[in-house]
Amino acid sequence: MTAPEFSTPPPEPSRRLRSFLMAIAPFTGITIFFLSWELYVRISGVRPLTLPLPSDVLRHVIENPEFYWRNGLVTFQEAFWGFWLAFIAAMVVATVMAHSRFMERATMPVIVLIQSTPIAVLVPVFLLWFGFSPWPKILTAALFAWIPFVANALTGLRSIDAETHELLRSVNASRWEVYWRLRIPHSLPYLFSAARICIGLALVGAVVGEFFNSQEGLGNAARVAQSRLLVDQLWGSVFVLAFIGVASVIVLTAAERRLLRWHSSQSVI
Amino acid sequence: MVAINEPAICFDSVSKWFRRKGQITHALADVSLDIAPGEFVSLIGPSGCGKSTMLRLVGGLIPVDRGEVRINGESAGEARRRKHYSFVPQHPALLPWRTVKENVALLGQLNKRAGAAGIAADAQLALLHDIGLGPFVDSFPSELSGGMQQRVSIARAFALGAPVMLLDEPFSALDEITRADMKYLLLDLWSRTGSTAVFVTHSIPEAVALSDRVVVLGNRPGHIRTIVDVDLERPRQEDIEDSEQFHALVSDVRSALKAGFDSV
Repeated sequence: MTAPEFSTPPPEPSRRLRSFLMAIAPFTGITIFFLSWELYVRISGVRPLTLPLPSDVLRHVIENPEFYWRNGLVTFQEAFWGFWLAFIAAMVVATVMAHSRFMERATMPVIVLIQSTPIAVLVPVFLLWFGFSPWPKILTAALFAWIPFVANALTGLRSIDAETHELLRSVNASRWEVYWRLRIPHSLPYLFSAARICIGLALVGAVVGEFFNSQEGLGNAARVAQSRLLVDQLWGSVFVLAFIGVASVIVLTAAERRLLRWHSSQSVI
Repeated sequence: MVAINEPAICFDSVSKWFRRKGQITHALADVSLDIAPGEFVSLIGPSGCGKSTMLRLVGGLIPVDRGEVRINGESAGEARRRKHYSFVPQHPALLPWRTVKENVALLGQLNKRAGAAGIAADAQLALLHDIGLGPFVDSFPSELSGGMQQRVSIARAFALGAPVMLLDEPFSALDEITRADMKYLLLDLWSRTGSTAVFVTHSIPEAVALSDRVVVLGNRPGHIRTIVDVDLERPRQEDIEDSEQFHALVSDVRSALKAGFDSV
């Protein structure tokens, strides 16, 4: 006896090809980008001072691992601590604001003030306060990253479902329980999308801080390279900074996958 | 101490006003109603008649403006602090980051000081199996249909097992076929508990099929028009909806509601 025809789904011949294409898709864009760059420089004969070959830059980075590791680590640490400082400060402020309309109204103008001030102009102030320590860079990184964090944290903590809140109230759940069991998990997707932006912003903050006054870090390496026309080192710093940013986003995405398994942004298709 | 014939829920000339953007709405006017322990009472009426307001007054979720609401002799707020309510909201209101079984355990884990932890974990699992959610205990709510999500919401209420059940149009977002199933599932679970149930609905057959009494409300301001006694035998199965008695009761409630509309 053969099974009736409708008992098996029709074959999907292109399935394998499709999943293969999906797997390599992220790399194709990058590859095309660098290949076009390489080809353009080789064909047009543009001076290396204007635009070096990406392969030359890469070779320079690989040949000077100690230099880039040391400076990269400095910049990464400044951005890292700035990022977490921004996160903690934003959670504290957003928590207070989410629990009191008065505090929200009182705090909002300060946030707008910080948001509208070009933060880079504060770096000299931080230098006055903290001198040659990592703190001016960490604070700059934190201020750059703070605004998206506080805005998204406030939205996340506030926008809980009214009926779910009422359900928790029906058993007289405390404010702390509502906060911990409902507001915080609800705001996780908002915090992750803020974190994506803030990784880049914290790196910008750290580099800007280093431009002003620093003896180390990739921002400093780039500044020195520019003044001495060390094109490879200038672009090498750019490459390593980009690498730090991308690697951080990849780590963040992995954490998001684990923590937000329940969220619609993680669903397949 | 609670006297034997003390009502489980007592509305004593309760009035309620809402102030919103300078406008004052008279939501309930001088409502008195006694609900006996273990009784299933439905509140039905046009939109804005105050039936949801009554439910929230019972639950101590909003304060009474005049009069008094007592739950087994104590205030609604006190009953809430002691976790005397199993609440089934209109939408499932599940926590999307918790699996089905974690959602069912939620109410027991909150407000631990009240000492009402609900039924044990294995009894919760048995309950989920009973109502056909066995294969889904480890699923997230987003993986379930609307009907299954509402099932979880009902299971969550029974897992707490409080003496008073508050149901706020729990089936209104479901399709007709799912609704029919849910009604008798709810009745079956409720009949095992002996809890007092207050059920808000828009559906006349639903109110009749479930209740011991149907309280028909009128609006502007909300008041009790009439109370229809439903003397259908328990336990009830879906076939009671074919009986003549059922149809007579449905038409009683309908004409009481109509009288309310005509007087507006």
